[in-house]
Amino acid sequence: MAESLLRAEQITRSFGRRGVLHGVDLAIAPGTLVGVVGENGAGKSTLLRILAGELRPSRGTITRTGSIGYCPQAAILNDTLTVNQHLAYFAAAYGLTDLSYAEALISSLGYQKYRTTSVGVLSDGTKQKVNLTLSLMHQPDVLLLDEPYQGFDWETYLHFWVLAEALRAQGRAVLVISHLIFDQQRFDTLFRLDGGKLVPLPIARGVSVNTTEGV
Amino acid sequence: MSTWRRFVIATRFALIEQGRNRLALGLLLVFVPIWDWLFGALIPDTAVAFKLQSTGAFLQVNGHDLTVLTSGFNAITLIVAFMIFAATRRNAAFDRRLVLSGLPQPVAIAAKTTAVVVIAAVISLYATLVMEIFWQPQGFGAVWLGYLLDALIYGALGLLLGVLVASELAGFFLIIMVSLMDTFLQAPVENPLANNDFLAAFPSFGPMQVAVSGGFGHGVAGASVLLALAWFAGFALLGLLIFWWKTRIWSIQSKPSLPSRPEHIAIPHATQPS
Repeated sequence: MAESLLRAEQITRSFGRRGVLHGVDLAIAPGTLVGVVGENGAGKSTLLRILAGELRPSRGTITRTGSIGYCPQAAILNDTLTVNQHLAYFAAAYGLTDLSYAEALISSLGYQKYRTTSVGVLSDGTKQKVNLTLSLMHQPDVLLLDEPYQGFDWETYLHFWVLAEALRAQGRAVLVISHLIFDQQRFDTLFRLDGGKLVPLPIARGVSVNTTEGV
Repeated sequence: MSTWRRFVIATRFALIEQGRNRLALGLLLVFVPIWDWLFGALIPDTAVAFKLQSTGAFLQVNGHDLTVLTSGFNAITLIVAFMIFAATRRNAAFDRRLVLSGLPQPVAIAAKTTAVVVIAAVISLYATLVMEIFWQPQGFGAVWLGYLLDALIYGALGLLLGVLVASELAGFFLIIMVSLMDTFLQAPVENPLANNDFLAAFPSFGPMQVAVSGGFGHGVAGASVLLALAWFAGFALLGLLIFWWKTRIWSIQSKPSLPSRPEHIAIPHATQPS
């Protein structure tokens, strides 16, 4: 098996006396789409924040070989800056001097006419496109997505899968964390976060998995 | 991309954001001159005693002129603190995302500090120019310096409250209360106890000493400047320390990067524009 782009070993995390994660093991291989489903409060966002490096686990190790792109559920943007200014700001963060890939993403997602518009006046759907662009513009090896089904509008959702397939074809990986996973057949691996641990799920073709139906 | 280039970009966007704060710009245009005029119109030219801390001597200064000067302190401390507080608090998650995306924390911290200094310099210069309409001090530069020092202190206080206070209302309330207490108590016309030594422990004491002493032609005491800079440094260091703590990234073990990949991921185009 190819070396993992991102590997979590025996991750535990507690908030005060409340344990959320109790030994999570996860290995994300190149060229894979991985889904993690779990109930609200199961610790999905905690796990994603730990994988992104935003939160320190109480115990366990994270090892990553490639770069990370983190797309939070809520579009974290600066309402006073334009789309172009966001690109320049995040290019400075990523250390990019070439914005041609970001420009291609904008063109691909179809919002180039808003490039000089302040983000604060954009629709929620367009803000989500900007959010996705910022997490992808440095061509990360692993894209981490928090609840894309809630944040994306239908058009962005469909186009996201096109982008995800392109990422996978290039040997990169995508991790989607959600309380509800549609389109299971698109994933290579599915897990359920239950009791603070990841449990592998069989992938049922043409069926949605959600936290109320069970597996 | 060089660290300097990253710093320039981060500072530029911090300043662009402040330039788009229409409420603050409106307050500057309307509030500062009205405040100066109103207080100046209410107070007669009667002589007022002002204690110079550097010598212990009492200056006899024109009450109207002194009031115009002190009302400027009141206006700029409120506006600068509001501007920095609102931007810092609003951008907490955005700043964290930038750092998580690779913006070095020292760059983010340096950009924030530079933005505070630039905003303080511009607003204090503006307030000094507005004051010229109502009173022409003997030492324009000293008054600007006094205003600048207080704007720095309150800009740093805004930064501190922006990273510390969860509620916007609580932050605004704290700024109003601290500014009112501080600048009001320092003014001898409004407060007969203004020359008491205990007021030396307040943030605006140093800037007020600088502006009054220099504005009325008695020079500027270096100790007052240093005292004001100490307040600025104290608030700024505390605020930036909390900012650093809140934006810190957990250090993940990284292995050597992957073998080279195609330069660009192929991007299929959307079928419909948004």
